[in-house]
Amino acid sequence: MDWSQQRYWEDVTEGEVLPTLRFPLTIYRLVMSAGATRDYNAIHHNSEFARRSGAPDMYANGLLLQGMWERSVREYIGLAGVIRALRGFRMKIFNTVGDTVVVKGRVKRKWREGRDALLELEMWSENSKGVSVGPGSMIVTLPSKAT
Amino acid sequence: MSTAASDDWKKDWDRMKAAVGQDFSGGVPQVGADAVEAGGIRRYLEVLEFDCPLHYDAAVAKAHGYRDITHLTCGAGPMAIPPQWQPGGPTIFNSADAHAQPDHSPIRGIQSDLMPKTTGYFATDAEIDYFLPLYPGDRVRLVGARLLSVEAKETSVGRGAFCIFETDMVNQKDEVVARRRAGMYYYNPKTKGEGG
Repeated sequence: MDWSQQRYWEDVTEGEVLPTLRFPLTIYRLVMSAGATRDYNAIHHNSEFARRSGAPDMYANGLLLQGMWERSVREYIGLAGVIRALRGFRMKIFNTVGDTVVVKGRVKRKWREGRDALLELEMWSENSKGVSVGPGSMIVTLPSKAT
Repeated sequence: MSTAASDDWKKDWDRMKAAVGQDFSGGVPQVGADAVEAGGIRRYLEVLEFDCPLHYDAAVAKAHGYRDITHLTCGAGPMAIPPQWQPGGPTIFNSADAHAQPDHSPIRGIQSDLMPKTTGYFATDAEIDYFLPLYPGDRVRLVGARLLSVEAKETSVGRGAFCIFETDMVNQKDEVVARRRAGMYYYNPKTKGEGG
């Protein structure tokens, strides 16, 4: 990722697609996630416990999945962009170990509010069973050449 | 079994439904175990393989208007989780069963006598407004837990209810850094033979 490149609001067109990111879900990664997010619920790192709870296997927690969206969005808006809000982040099916989460997004809307140059980025995650998170959106600001 | 009879269990959630609008925090903030620090930020970046320098290079962060490196926006939630155990507290690991759970967990979400007893839980959805960055040294606490909605529903994993609570995430200067509406599914897992 070349962080020296900055995208400006004027550079963006509605409908533009964000680069796809892939996150393989290994046991190792889920254990790292438990430590990083402090979500030690055993459904996220213990297959037997997860199955007893009704899930098909251990699965990624919401904070890891939110982080995937954040990385995707940050890489699109660059260092000068600002994340303002998360909307419609809904986990619809389990993102289980052994699968890969694929994060996708597109520019749904661009508009101005006062001095703010805003974008609504529609975001969703997919796995081998379909859309697993969202579609939701992240509201961001970008620097503008006009201000 | 008629639909009406099969839906009788939903009545167990009526008291919670009637409490929509109430604050379930008891006026007691939930204080995160630790202050934000670079190591905790790094561990979040690590699992995401995320190399944004705003989160590890203070010079870059300052060049973009921040006073130091910042945490990820999604990092506010973990920073508000209380300790699993703390000095003076009771032991929480009291069984050698490989799958035994600690006697206490700070991540079970809001608990209330208005809810029927459930054994399973997981987060389902989130909407968050971000107002301020989180910096090293910041200490996050959750203030308020206003119940916004309750939907009793049977899912593939069991019977329970989706509950959404609104909470402010506040720093040590009493500034609201984020406002979160978070959903949790509280349920009892299906037993063998129930299908789903």
